[in-house]
This record gives sequence, structure tokens and C-alpha cells, in this order.
Amino acid sequence: MNLLGVVTFLPLAGALLAALLPRGEARQHRALALAVTLATFLLSLLLWFGFDAGPAAPEFQFEARHPWMPGLGIGYHVGLDGVALLLVMLTTVLTPVVVLSTWRAVQDRVKEFMIALLVLETAMIGTFAALDLVLFYVFWELILIPMYLLIGIWGSQNRLYATVKFFVYTFAASVLMLVAILFVYFHDGATFDYVDARAALQVTPDQARWLFLAFGLAFAVKVPMFPLHTWLPDAHTEAPTAGSVILAGVLLKMGTFGFFRYALPLFPAAALEFRPAIAVLATIGILYGALMSFVQTDMKRLVAYSSVSHLGFVMLGLAALSAEGLTGSVYQMLNHGISTGALFLLVGMLYERRHTRAVAEYGGLAKQVPLLATAFVVVTLSSIGLPGTNGFVGEFLILSGTFLSRLAHSTVFATLAALGVVLGAVYMLTLVEKVFYGALHKAENRHLPDLSLREGLVLAPMIALIVVMGLLPAPFLAPARPAVNRLVARFQQAEARVGAPTAVGTVEAAVAARPALPTGRSF
Amino acid sequence: MPFLPTPFAAEASLWAIILFPLAGAAVNGLAGRRLGRGNVTLVALGAMVGSFAIAAVAFGWAAAGRVLHFQGDPWISVTGADGRTLVDAAWGLVVDRLSGTMILVVTGVGTLIHVYSTSYMSHEDDAGYARFFTYLNLFVAAMLVLVLGDSLILTFVGWEGVGLCSYLLIGFWFTDPQKAYAGRKAFVVNRIGDFGFLVGLFSLLAIFGTARYADLSALARTVSPGAIVAGGVFAGWTYQAAITFALLCLFVGATGKSAQIPLYIWLPDAMAGPTPVSALIHAATMVTAGVYLVARNSMLFALAPAAMATVTLVGAATALLAAAIAFVQNDIKKVLAYSTVSQLGFMFIGVGAGVFSAGVLHLVTHAFFKACLFLGAGSVMHGMGDETDIRKMGGLWRRMPATAATFLVATLAITGFVPLSGFFSKDAILAGALHSANPAWPEVGPIAYALGSLAALGTAFYMSRLFFLTFVGAPRTHAAEHAHESSRLMTVPLAVLAALAVVGAVLGLPGDGAWSELFGRFTEPVFAPALEALRRSGHLPAEQVESALPFLFAWVLAAAGTGIAWLLYAGPGRAAPARLARALPRTYQLVLDKFRIDELYEAVIVGPLRTLARVLWRVVDVFAIDGLLVNGAARAAGFAGTIARLPQNGDVQRYAAVMTVAAAVILWTVLGVGGQ
Repeated sequence: MNLLGVVTFLPLAGALLAALLPRGEARQHRALALAVTLATFLLSLLLWFGFDAGPAAPEFQFEARHPWMPGLGIGYHVGLDGVALLLVMLTTVLTPVVVLSTWRAVQDRVKEFMIALLVLETAMIGTFAALDLVLFYVFWELILIPMYLLIGIWGSQNRLYATVKFFVYTFAASVLMLVAILFVYFHDGATFDYVDARAALQVTPDQARWLFLAFGLAFAVKVPMFPLHTWLPDAHTEAPTAGSVILAGVLLKMGTFGFFRYALPLFPAAALEFRPAIAVLATIGILYGALMSFVQTDMKRLVAYSSVSHLGFVMLGLAALSAEGLTGSVYQMLNHGISTGALFLLVGMLYERRHTRAVAEYGGLAKQVPLLATAFVVVTLSSIGLPGTNGFVGEFLILSGTFLSRLAHSTVFATLAALGVVLGAVYMLTLVEKVFYGALHKAENRHLPDLSLREGLVLAPMIALIVVMGLLPAPFLAPARPAVNRLVARFQQAEARVGAPTAVGTVEAAVAARPALPTGRSF
Repeated sequence: MPFLPTPFAAEASLWAIILFPLAGAAVNGLAGRRLGRGNVTLVALGAMVGSFAIAAVAFGWAAAGRVLHFQGDPWISVTGADGRTLVDAAWGLVVDRLSGTMILVVTGVGTLIHVYSTSYMSHEDDAGYARFFTYLNLFVAAMLVLVLGDSLILTFVGWEGVGLCSYLLIGFWFTDPQKAYAGRKAFVVNRIGDFGFLVGLFSLLAIFGTARYADLSALARTVSPGAIVAGGVFAGWTYQAAITFALLCLFVGATGKSAQIPLYIWLPDAMAGPTPVSALIHAATMVTAGVYLVARNSMLFALAPAAMATVTLVGAATALLAAAIAFVQNDIKKVLAYSTVSQLGFMFIGVGAGVFSAGVLHLVTHAFFKACLFLGAGSVMHGMGDETDIRKMGGLWRRMPATAATFLVATLAITGFVPLSGFFSKDAILAGALHSANPAWPEVGPIAYALGSLAALGTAFYMSRLFFLTFVGAPRTHAAEHAHESSRLMTVPLAVLAALAVVGAVLGLPGDGAWSELFGRFTEPVFAPALEALRRSGHLPAEQVESALPFLFAWVLAAAGTGIAWLLYAGPGRAAPARLARALPRTYQLVLDKFRIDELYEAVIVGPLRTLARVLWRVVDVFAIDGLLVNGAARAAGFAGTIARLPQNGDVQRYAAVMTVAAAVILWTVLGVGGQ
């Protein structure tokens, strides 16, 4: 088993170990889960430093390939490109943070909770690492089970409706993807291997359209794209803090990652046809999600709708199909995981203190809990994309990448999306104002404790990442570059094959577009 | 210049100008509560003095004719597969005579206001005191990034950074919900401007492929405005149209930050912040960023006469509107706030009409006298127990002589009395506008001159009214009778600023002697390409027009405004204002309510948006998607289950019948498909 395999299955091994520990020892379960997730993180650092982002490096690194069901063409094939690497890192960073955040919040069935979290981590890493369609599907569906349990058992009052909605929504769409995977199997020389299938797939344009829709629908539900987003506010609101953080931090990225890895490169010609529709829905999502956040009275619901808006930016960058836009999308996936994850952590800390999510129950907390307020404001600034935070880098690249892309009406999309940045400031700052500013008029809020050391340790890595990724984005941009360039090149080949006019990549600047002066002898 | 380090060393240490206040903010922000008040003061002031010292050295090199350029490391840089890098932000800084002037104002006035604040904010508890200086230092750092950045992207970083600090400082006393709201309003209105800035920035990237000022300016000189853009985002437009669009978008950003029509509404509310903040951010530095932006891109604006006409006209209209509102305000800080909006309008008339150096000079002199006025207002508030209503003041001249004297000097400077600084800078703007002939709309210069002159008359009136009501006459309340002068820490900065407001006149003397047009000649290298282009297009007169008439007229206006104010508020006509207000109650109320522009925006934009959001949520999310589709599908599935249960009744014969029919259908289907 190579390094990637170890990183993938270490949490699962931890879960098995936890199963052996007695149920009553909550402290041991917490310590074990923290130790395992921290070890996973440390090992994943080896992946981070071992990854070669140079143009000559192989597309997938840390690759491992073992036959699993050779008769059916199913193999255990894993490997990472830069985008998958970044998302694996996001997962391994977030999970120990989440474990630490549940120290107090989860007192009930700690053993099962930690096992669910550990299984979830393996499934998430596996989803990003898989290079076999069946393996991918198995990991993808495996995530649903611990997630279903997290919301269904440790969630709040209305959790049953939320879990069923979450499960049915995502499962129904995933079944379509399974059908599509099977169809691909019969048209690529009978293999489920992603790399082989991508090279050998032979489908008519009509079939490609249906296949793109089937994959795209499964991913669009996960993202979630407007109008398939209504499971998200319910699931977020009812989930325990840990569930919300994982859901926002990693699970939503599986949708956008799915587009980046599967739907777009497998069916580029069909993707070009649906591209305007994706751009329109993404832009609607940005504005619609922001408007929804504007009128929510429940903090978690507000943050959930803001996710719809932020993920709209990611999808818009993908639809732009320019190096800047795609890179920005990848960056924004990480940003959203960090800033929205941190927002859910902070909301969870407020909830632990006051046991309510209603914005109106708070007010004037800043004097009472200055550290928590400061952390909340910093994370808010990241969420609204202030320069100097990670959020700006992503939004700036997506907006400029869309504006400068060859997508039809790109300027309209970019301009409308930029309005989402204005609305983002409105709803987030209103939330800050209502919760932390003004007079402390509720007696229940008079004696809230400020951040504890443990809570500080939970938030510290998030805030550090917000600042570091805002000021020094280069190391986080570099791994994405080869993957982004390969995707753009794939689309350019597809265009050449179909004979379509160039609509991929970045425009030429007007001044540079003038005929260059002859500098030497011309032939 | 032997006393300066080498230009190479000066270039390498440019970041130190920014890092000093940034480090001050970091230290006080992280440890300020534990450091104690004295150390907090030491750190904050030390950072400012250090920054000022290095800024002065850099300015010295700029004055010696060099342009210092720090080639920064890449920050956000994405290169496509074809090797092109369109989005390429780097940490590069540049000090030429324009940004050199700006950093000297920012760090110089900033240092004075820091000194003043150590006394003004002494009533805060330790945590609040440290928080205040953290934000103030952070603001200076952001403002320096805005000014020193060598590209539009880095300027945007500072642009949003100062917006954040403004938000934090307006809402400094956040336990008061109205102050917290004022902070958010400022941020959101500025964000609308930033939206314009971003679109303009993207447009310039699409046109020129770079956002660096030096490259933009160099490329702009090679562009023929009438040529058609061949490809890309603006394919089919003329270069002039594309550049005009980009600059108008940038100017939307400028109207936000510099509080011009239609986005000026946040600045009067921003007076909720501590008074030193009003002086530093909302008068002397941040709000002038829009003027700086236009001046910095003068070469681009020279290609877009329609954009320049817009800048001029918006500036003139704002100058007049804000002056009119200031007539009737009774809050000392509100009068000064509207006065700032109005004066910023003058600056935009200047840069819009093509007299860039006059616009920037007014920025500098305004920083001196308006900071002095605001700090004076703060001193009055201190002496009066935080009273801001000028109707409850009067006769403070005797109680607070130092404050009154400096306030008088600054008032004379802003009203435009010879030979104070405001006279020369403001009237250079108006004279420049009068003699300009914008090719897109030749009358815009004279129109701006007329509106601006009216606004100047108004300025003299409302500022004199403010001075008379506050300092002259008999004390009208108990508090006014017992007001006390402020400490030295506050009056010394006042005296320095008042002195600068007088001495600043040297920079703008008219004529053509050895001492005339000092600032114009100083900034010549920065604006020369733009001025040359403007002269070529006939926008500016080819020859310097020397006419004393506009200056004389301006002086008469200033005297008239002051005279009327004296008549009505300190002289024999003291009953007249109240009678006038009673005679025209509706008009008076309308002006007092600031023409109800806030209410208009609330009714036309904010309210409908909120309603739309609520309706969309209820109708689309809750009713259509969840109610009809999701839960509808669930109910349909349940209903289908009920139907499907019907045949499952255990009747074997019926099962057999169904199976037979089904087998027949399958066979028919398979054969049918096979037969095709």
C-alpha cells in the first residue's frame, strides 16, 4: 500500500480500533479520533510536499493500481492530480479541527459519533483519490451513510425531515450517475478505469449529451446549484456542528470536483453546449443565494444559503473555461471549505453557549465575548472576499477569469456575479451587527464565557489559513495549474474535432490583439 | 543630496513605510490590552513617526527628480497554457511626485492626529484605547498601500482595506446600534463603488492586458482613440468608447470612496465615529482616494473626454448640493461632513477639467484646513461635554481661545480668503474649469465654473455661520458658559495644522515668477503626457491664460458669503433665519432632511430588494421547489405506492393474468425493436 493508500485508510483503521474500545470511555474515543485524524494530516503533508507541480510531471501522482474484479474491469486505481491533492489536504486539515470542536458538543454516543467521522474521512479522501469509476461511486455513496447518521442521530429537532430530504435528493441523483457509469462501461471497451475510459470512450454527440446530463445532475445536486439547493438549508440547520462543517467544508466540493474531474473532461463537446446554461444557473445561484441569506432569521440557514452563493462563484469559474476562472474555482473550493467551515464552527460555539440559532436571541455580544467576536469578524471578512484574506484571491480570479473568458456574454455574467460581492457584504455584516453590536439587552447573554483554549485551538488553524492563503497564494495556486491547463487543452482539442469556433481560454487584450509589428525577417 | 540614502536603499525600504503602521497595528491588536496605555501610545506613535521619516526620505528622492519603484514579488499570478499572464498582481510600490505628496500628507497629518487622539481618547478603557490605535494604525497602512501600489490591483487592496478600517472606526462605539449601523452603511455603499472599480479594472485588463499604472500610461500614449478594437471583450468598440466605459466604472468606485453623487450618503452618517477619525479618514485622507485615482490615471482620462466631462459635472453638482444641505445643519460635525463632500466636489471639478495639479493641490490644502476644523470641532465637543448642537454653543471664543483662533484660520482658508491656502487651490480649479473646452461637451467647464462659484459662495456662508454660532456672541447654554480649553496634546496639532493651512498658500501662488505655481511645476513630470494630449485636443488652452478676473470675482464671493453670514448670525439680522424658516416651512424641512435622498434610496432600492428576497424565498424556495417539486414528488411516490398496493392482494389468478400480458408486451417490444 502506497502513501496515498495509507492516508486514505488510516481513518478507517482508526474506526475499527474505536469499535474495539468500550462504549463508556468517551474520553478515549475522543483522544483516539483526534490522534488518528492528526496522524492522517501529518501523513498527508508528505503528499503535499511530495507532489510535483511541474509541467513535465505525470498527471496523476502517488498512483496505485490493483485488480479488484478483473472480470468486470473494476480495479482499485487511485492517484492525485493537483486539484484532488488540494481537496484531500482540505479534508485532512478540517477533520481533526472538527473532532476537536465536538469535545463538549457531543456527549451522547461518542463512540458511534467518532466512528462515523472516521469512516467519513476515509470515504471523502477516497472520493478524491479514486481513478476507477466504480471505486469512485462506492466512496461517493459511502459518504451518505455516516452523514445520514450524523444528521439523523445527533441533529436537532427537525432532523428526520432533513435527513430523508438529504438522502433522497442526493441518492436519486447518484443513481442517474450509476446508470451513466454503466453506459460508459459499454462504450469504452469494457473498463471502469477512469484514465482508460477517458481515452477510449466512443459515444455519439446525442449520447454524450445525456451522459453529461446524468453526471451533471448528480454533481449539481451536491454542489448544490440553483434550483436543486433546497436540501442544503435543511440539512445544515438540523445537522450538528461537526456535520455542518464537513458538509460545507468538503461534501459540497465533491459536486464541483465531480464537474472538474468527470463531467467536463469526459464529455467536453456536450459540456460546451450546456455551458451557457451552467453559467446562467451559477449566476442566478450567486444572486439568489445572497438574497435568501439576506432574509433568514436562523444563523445556520443564513450561512447555508451563503454557501449556495459561494458555490455559484465556483460553478461560474468552471463555466468560464479560462485558466484564471478555473484556477479561481479551485481556490474558491478551498476558501469556502475554510471560511464557511469556520463560520459553522463559530455558530456552533454560540449555540453551545445559548442553545439557539435565532439571530434575534443575540445582540451586543462583542463586549461580553471579544475574542469570539474578533474571530467572527475575521472569518466574515474572508467570506465577503476582503483583499488580504483568501476569499479575495478566489473571487478576484473567478470574476476576472469570467470577464476575460471567451464565454459568450462573459462580461454580463462577471458583472452580475460581482453584484453578489456587494450583497455578500450586506448579509454578512448585518449578521455581525445583529449578533455582536448594539446593546446587550438579553439577560441570558450577560454571562457567556469567551473562547476557551480548546476553542481557540479549533479556530487558530482556520484563521491562519485565511491570512496565509490571502497573502501567499502561490503555493496553493501552483498544484492546480497542470490540471487546469490539461482541462483547457482537452476542450481545445474537442473544439478542433467538432470544428467549433474558439470559445475556450482567455481573450487577447485589445492592445495586444493589433497586428504585431514585424520584428525581423518574415517568410 | 548627501543626507539621503542611495535611491536603491530607498527603493528597498519602501515597504517599511507601510510595515511600520502595520506592525504597530499587529502589536497593539494582539497584545494591546496587556501592554498598558503608555506602551500602546508609544507603539502607535512610534510607528507613525518611523513611517513619516521614511516617507520623507522617499519624497526627497521624488523631489530630486527620481521615480522610486520597488519591483514586488508576484502575489496573484495565473499563467495560461499558452504562456500569457493577464492577471498578474505583484507587491510593487512606486513613489513619484504624486504618490510622494500623498504619503507625506497621510503620514504627516496622520501623525498629528495620532498625537491629538492620545488625549481625545483618554476617556476610553484600556482595551478600547488599544483597539482604537490598532484600527488607526491599520488604516494608515491600508491608505499607504492604496497610494503607493504600482497597479490598480494593489490600489484596490488598499481601497477595500481603508473601507474596512472606516467601518471599524465609524462603529467604534458599537454598543450604540445607530453607530454600528452607520459603519455598515458606509461599508455597503462603498462596496457598491468597489463593484464599479472591479468592473473598470477588468475592462482595463481586457483593453490593455495589464493593470500597472506605468504600463497603462505608456500603452495609452500609443493608442489611437478612433481605432476599432479587433478582438476580445470589446470587439467592435472604438478604443475611446472602451476606455470611456472602463473609466466611468472606475469613477463609480471614486464616487463611493470620495462621497460624490449618487453615493455620498454614507459620509454624513460616518460622523458617528470618534472625531479624530472624522478628521483623518473622512476629511484628510481616505475620502480623497477617488481624486487620487483620477489623477493617477490622468493619461487614460485624457483619451476619454466624455469620462472627464462626467467627472467634472458630478463634482460640480455635488459641490453645490452638499453646500446647500450644509446651510441648515445644526450639528457641528454634520456641517463639516457636508462641507467635505462639497470640497471633494471641487477637487473632482479640477481633475475632471484637466487641471490635475490644482485638484491635487486642493486635496493637500483641504487635508490641512479640514483636519484642523474637525479636530477643532473635537476640541469643542471635549470642552462642552460631547455636545455637538451649535445652537447650544456661542461665545466659546473667550473660553477656548486656542481652539477658536485655529478654527478661525481654517475657516478663512476654506472660505477662500486671500492669502490663505484654500483661496489659491480652489480658485485655480475654478479658473481652470472656466478656460477648459472639453471636446465631448465644450460647455461643461463653464457650467462647472458657475456651479462651483455658487458652491463657493455657499461655502463662505455656511462656514462663517458655523464659526459665528459656535464662537461668537453670548453663550447660549450653561455648558457653553463653562466650557474649558483642551490640553496641549490637542491644541498643538491644531496650531500646526492651522499654520500649514496658511503656509500651504505658497504652493499655489498664481503668476509666473520664481515662487508661482510651485506645486504645478512640481507635479509637471507626472501629468505632462496627459496635459500634452489635452492641449493637443484643444481641451486645455495651448497658452497659459493669465487673468485676474476670476480670482477677483472669487474673492468678492467669499467676502459676500461671509458678510451675509455675519448679518444673519452675528449682526443686526439675527432674527431673519428663524423667520425665513417659518416663512418657507416645507423648503426648510426638505433641506434639513438632506433632500430626503436616504429615504428615496430606501424606497426605491433597499426596500424593494428586501421585499423581493422575501417573496422569492416564500414563493420559489418554500412553495415551488420544496412544496410542489420535492414534497410533491414524495407525495406522488406515496400515492403511487397506494395504487401499486391495489393489485398486490394475493389473488394468484390475477397475478397470472398480469404476467401473461406483461410477457406479451415484452415479446412485442423485443421483436419490434429487432425487426427495425
